[in-house]
Amino acid sequence: MAVQEQLPREILIGGEQNYGSVNQIIDKVILNNGLHRKWFYITLLLGVMGTGLMLVSIGWLLYMGIGIWGNQIPVGWAWDIVNFVWWIGIGHAGTLISAILLLLRQQWRNSINRFAEAMTIFAVMCAGMYPLLHTGRPWVDYWLFPYPNILGLWPQYRSPLFWDVCAVSTYFTVSLLFWYMGLVPDMASLRDRATNKFAKYGYAIACLGWRGSAKHWHRYEQANLLLAGFATPLVLSVHSTVSFDFAMSVVPGWNPTIFPPYFVAGAVYGGFAMVLNFAIPIRKAYKLEDLITMKHIDWMCKIMLATSLIVFYGYAMEVFFGWYSGSKGEIDLTVYRMVGEYKLEYWMLIFCNCVAPQTMWFPKLRQNLWVVWIVAAIAGLGMWLERFVIIPMCLQINPLPAIDRPYHPTIWDIALFTGTIGFFTMLMMLFVRALPTINIFEVKDLLYKTIRSEGKSEIIKPATAVGVE
Amino acid sequence: MNESTPEQKLDLEAISQKLKDKKGPAYWRSLEEVAKTAEFQKWVDDEFPNRRDLATIDRRSLLKFMGASLAMAGLAGCRGVFLPEEKLVAYVEQPEELLIGTPLFYSTTMPFMGYGFGVLCSQREGRPIKLEGNPRHPMSLGSINSMVEAEMLNFYDPDRLSNVIQQGNISTWEQFAETASDAIQAQVAKQGAGLRFLTGTVTSPTVAAQLNTLRSKFPQSKWYCYDPIDRDGERKGSMAVFGKQYETRLDLSKANVIVSLDSDFLLRRPDSVALARQWADGRRITGTDGTMNRLYAFSSRMTTTAATADHYWPVRPSELEIIASAIAAGLGVGQAPSSLPVDASIVSAIVKDLQQNQGSAVVIPGEEQTPNLHALCFAINEALGAFGKSVLIQEPVDYNPTPRVDQMTSLTNDLNQGLVDLIFIIGGNPAYDAPADLNFGSALGKAKVKIYLSMYETETSAVCDWTAPVSHPLEAWGDLRAHDGTISLTQPLMEPLYDSWSVIEFLSSLYGPKQEGYDILRDYYKQGPHKLDHNKFKVALYKGMLEETTQPTVVPKVNTASIQPVAISPAGTEVRFQSCGKILDGTYSNNGWLRELPDQITKGTWDNVIEISPAMAQQLNISSGNILKVSTQLGTVEGPAWIQPGQPNNAITMTLGYGRTAGGVVATADEATGYNAYVIRSSQSMGFLPASAGATIQNQGGDFRFANVQLHNGMENRDIVREGTMDEMKQALAAGKKPFRFPNEEEIDLDDLNLYPKDVFRWDGPQWGMTIDLTTCTGCNACVTACQAENNIPVVGKDQVARGREMHWIRIDRYYGGNKTSSPEADTLSAPPVVFQPVMCVQCEKAPCEPVCPVAATVHSHDGINQMVYNRCVGTRYCSDNCPYKVRRFNFLNYQMEQLQFQDIQKIPLLKLLNNPDVTVRSRGVMEKCNYCIQRISDARIEAKKAGLPIRDGSILTACQQACPTRTITFGNIADPEAKVAAMRKDPRSYLLLGDMNTRPRTSHMARLRNPNPEIVS
Repeated sequence: MAVQEQLPREILIGGEQNYGSVNQIIDKVILNNGLHRKWFYITLLLGVMGTGLMLVSIGWLLYMGIGIWGNQIPVGWAWDIVNFVWWIGIGHAGTLISAILLLLRQQWRNSINRFAEAMTIFAVMCAGMYPLLHTGRPWVDYWLFPYPNILGLWPQYRSPLFWDVCAVSTYFTVSLLFWYMGLVPDMASLRDRATNKFAKYGYAIACLGWRGSAKHWHRYEQANLLLAGFATPLVLSVHSTVSFDFAMSVVPGWNPTIFPPYFVAGAVYGGFAMVLNFAIPIRKAYKLEDLITMKHIDWMCKIMLATSLIVFYGYAMEVFFGWYSGSKGEIDLTVYRMVGEYKLEYWMLIFCNCVAPQTMWFPKLRQNLWVVWIVAAIAGLGMWLERFVIIPMCLQINPLPAIDRPYHPTIWDIALFTGTIGFFTMLMMLFVRALPTINIFEVKDLLYKTIRSEGKSEIIKPATAVGVE
Repeated sequence: MNESTPEQKLDLEAISQKLKDKKGPAYWRSLEEVAKTAEFQKWVDDEFPNRRDLATIDRRSLLKFMGASLAMAGLAGCRGVFLPEEKLVAYVEQPEELLIGTPLFYSTTMPFMGYGFGVLCSQREGRPIKLEGNPRHPMSLGSINSMVEAEMLNFYDPDRLSNVIQQGNISTWEQFAETASDAIQAQVAKQGAGLRFLTGTVTSPTVAAQLNTLRSKFPQSKWYCYDPIDRDGERKGSMAVFGKQYETRLDLSKANVIVSLDSDFLLRRPDSVALARQWADGRRITGTDGTMNRLYAFSSRMTTTAATADHYWPVRPSELEIIASAIAAGLGVGQAPSSLPVDASIVSAIVKDLQQNQGSAVVIPGEEQTPNLHALCFAINEALGAFGKSVLIQEPVDYNPTPRVDQMTSLTNDLNQGLVDLIFIIGGNPAYDAPADLNFGSALGKAKVKIYLSMYETETSAVCDWTAPVSHPLEAWGDLRAHDGTISLTQPLMEPLYDSWSVIEFLSSLYGPKQEGYDILRDYYKQGPHKLDHNKFKVALYKGMLEETTQPTVVPKVNTASIQPVAISPAGTEVRFQSCGKILDGTYSNNGWLRELPDQITKGTWDNVIEISPAMAQQLNISSGNILKVSTQLGTVEGPAWIQPGQPNNAITMTLGYGRTAGGVVATADEATGYNAYVIRSSQSMGFLPASAGATIQNQGGDFRFANVQLHNGMENRDIVREGTMDEMKQALAAGKKPFRFPNEEEIDLDDLNLYPKDVFRWDGPQWGMTIDLTTCTGCNACVTACQAENNIPVVGKDQVARGREMHWIRIDRYYGGNKTSSPEADTLSAPPVVFQPVMCVQCEKAPCEPVCPVAATVHSHDGINQMVYNRCVGTRYCSDNCPYKVRRFNFLNYQMEQLQFQDIQKIPLLKLLNNPDVTVRSRGVMEKCNYCIQRISDARIEAKKAGLPIRDGSILTACQQACPTRTITFGNIADPEAKVAAMRKDPRSYLLLGDMNTRPRTSHMARLRNPNPEIVS
């Protein structure tokens, strides 16, 4: 705390706020039905339609086999793993915000962490679907998990895929717990404020009997810190493990040693971009400007900029390693990326992830929400292209050139990916509708600290337990 | 349930004490026996120890068991409701020799291009499974080719005609026999003046005798033969220079210098398997020992022979005569032509080389080439003293050797003049493959009664009144003669699958009551010229042939005066018609194995293409995949262009046998039928259309969807195929270097960089390994089909191949150009050096696929095989991604059940009979790959164990090794220093593919040695 006190204070809450107004701003999104305009229902409908498309794609996939996709020999992994890695990466911003920034006592995280955590969970749901569905025989996927069985067979611990299974399932579990735990006090608050009987009962059950006693708060803080401790290494380990799927192989282009840090940076980059893509419209629609201030957006832009530079360094290193390996196959692959059949994708990747974010150097552009939103959208695309350039493209070029074969996706590859985006959108919309998008009690905590640090302790109401206001 | 007394603990010390005290032979079954525990005594005394006595079961448990038994019985009753009903029929009397689970091998004979190809057929529990070469047979020498191998699939083909068809309607044999006998009775009065027989090449002594019987009964009747791929050039050439029709038989084992003038003798001749063996034996090198024969090829299209030759020059089809006459003139026969399509120094160098090898040199003319070229080659071979050595001249084996085109022309004339009342067409498909100018289909319509015997309902059935199903050679008795005349017997391996008659049974019904095939055959060999008694006949059946029945050879004199002077071929586009290297003339159109086989050169599957040279394509602005319209006076054909390096300019090559409109679901598969080149093939020019025919090529544009298995053709200067000459090898060895390494750097001993001790891969037992000698690989595909037959590999269809999902466990990579060190940067597009490299799983000792499998579905066996556990495979495909050789194949869909011929649900069981019971049939979502025919290894291991002997070197043949005509593949125990494979692994030419990845492959490749003429600079 000592360090924090010395830092200059930033204005993280706009307007004249008190605890009541904070509650009001956040709760109204849920409790005031009239606030949801047409665009909300349209987006939700699109999400539901996307979910339908996803279910149809999965059904057909399970019925036919993964031959409906464009995967082939030599390109055994394509959109399935591209999308898996992309979605996992999207989730990273959430964990970074909620865990690392919590441990670093970054107060500005308070208004975006809930949102980002929800994204994490939904993104990991979309991601987790892929490795389970992309196997040839999904009905025996449970063999990938270590469970006692009469065959006496365990998974093969040397396989990065098994590490992946462990990393992703741990990640999902911890993220879910973290998110849910943070929701408990807020749901208690909603329970108290909800007038609709069903909503009241629903929140009452979900808040696990939270009464806001000091004991509760004490335990909450302890658990929160513990989970943050758990989650922090996960931010780094999950995507490092995902990168091991490639880095541990002998495939030219898959095995540079830079992969783990470069994947993590890419994930954070893509994750923050996705947070911005969702936060900016919601902030606007529900008038949350006072809680998600331009300062927040500014900082997120800076993180994007920083991570994009790391990613850029990664791309440069890939080219360097291609040359430095001295292996003809690696050199040919590097050249193929730049001038081969998919050169457009490669140069678009460089544009999206290296050129476009350079706009974020300029404070003026960081303040322009349109620019920020577009750059974030470009970043999302860029991160997808990065995985495309790594996964199917490296497999197209082989040590034995006789087996080189270009990869082309099919309609079902596109359908399932579109479907998962729809599914994600649907879950996000339902989340916005049913749960507090911004962490109420943490904002109040922040408000308390802000006001006190400004020396205006007189306007603070007596500290009441949140939720029993 | 086991509640017996707790086991007595074993006291090891007491046991060893007891053992020490023992006297006499100290055999003991287990430690318990030594310890003489009470449990052990119980096991010895009681047959079923630990069983529950009924009396000791309490009432409640008894009721429980009874209830459970009732429930189980109820469930069992549901079989047939929601469980498939299975029938189990045991042998009441087990047939003699048959041992369930072990294959029986029978010698039999398959027809191949009209001649008899001796095979051994393995039969499992009464169903034939796989064909293998008959080592005794002169056409096979123990090897086989793809086409004969694939007869197995033809046998079980669900599209085979299963009943008599009368003008498109199903009929019966009785009705058919009635009509046939009425029609034939009507001919008795006319002495058969209106009776015609049309067959393919007949080399069967029995059929020939039967036809003679018929013709003696109907003296006015006529018998014609027609084959779209014929030996007319040779027949007419022989007529010209010898005044008599002879056949040539080649013996390349005596040839040091071979010149192929448009002949693809390594693949497209009836005796190609034997020729390929002789050719390969003539260039087998061990270490630096041995001599190599030299092969020059002038060819009008890229073929396996052209690709394998030491020197290759593409020339237009009409220019081969010029080359031949230049060679002849060099040898003192006739006049030299005024100009040559190739550099004169090349021809003079070849002539010099031929002269130096007088008596051991041979010039082979193209099978489909002109009579004059054959005449010239007869003269050349005579001048070279090859007659009686590498070229044997024999009386025709064929019973009706008149040139096919002449026969077909007279038959068409007969038909058009209305002379034919009754025609029997036995086999073939003339309405599809007869020369287009004869318009045979409509001429055939003029015959009054047309009866067609065929295995399929074809284009010809549409014209005929009756189409009757003929038996496959695997279900019929019969006989055929090999290319050298050896009489080979065909015996059935199974009762006919359908209600079909064999040819000899059918013919017998025409001159008397129908006899059984066996009786006909037996009678012929009892009463005919051979006079075989029962035992001799049995021996002949056992061997598959009558030994010492080769055709006697003669040494006739060549009349050089009859050779016509050659003219310089006029400018213009020539069109070469070639038989397909997979389905020949269309005989195997409906065979999925062959249709999906990659073409030896283009590596395309399913379709045929129009091959065009790169320079010509550039000139005409054609790119691969454009649809070309080839027009002559006879008609037009549209097919996809394929830019083929090594194709001569101003000549295109069209492949016969495609564009079927009937003949089964595979032959007519959607988007995969190809074009029909017969439409523009005229009786005047069966081999090629000269420029005077005025063929025009129009580019229609478009982008044809090929299903090619290899899209990248260059080696990209990587160390993949090592090649060079003997001199280069000797130089490198003298310098203490590994020969042909690219780039030419010092080879690092990767073992030194290894963290693991060297003996970590050592195990006290056989260690399997393989070598592939690229010097003798001709890329013929025999191994691919043999592997497909052995390992139950499904056919996936054109669409799936185009998506990159072919399932062949062996692929033969074909590279053009070679690496920069091994071949000078000559004009590589016009005549590039070609190399073939078979690649199947190389069984890495440090296999990259193994550590990445999350469920341990691919693991290493103690004898060094990288095994694939299908049942455990989840299908993540990570193993394939991590395989540098990309030899793994994935069942992206349920390929076994989704093969084209499985579309008719009622026909599914038939193709299931084909599966090898020793090999798991893989389901959807499972990875698979080569495993060195593990089932054969296990079989040999079990047999050796039973005999108490070690596994003998050479006792295990993998399917690919067994099929290979050139003996390119060697398999064995690399841990055994005596084994052939171990010696070959140490050969200086031996190298490990992608060895620098330190995967330590068990399969090593051996560098390709070329034997170019130093006087010729390419």
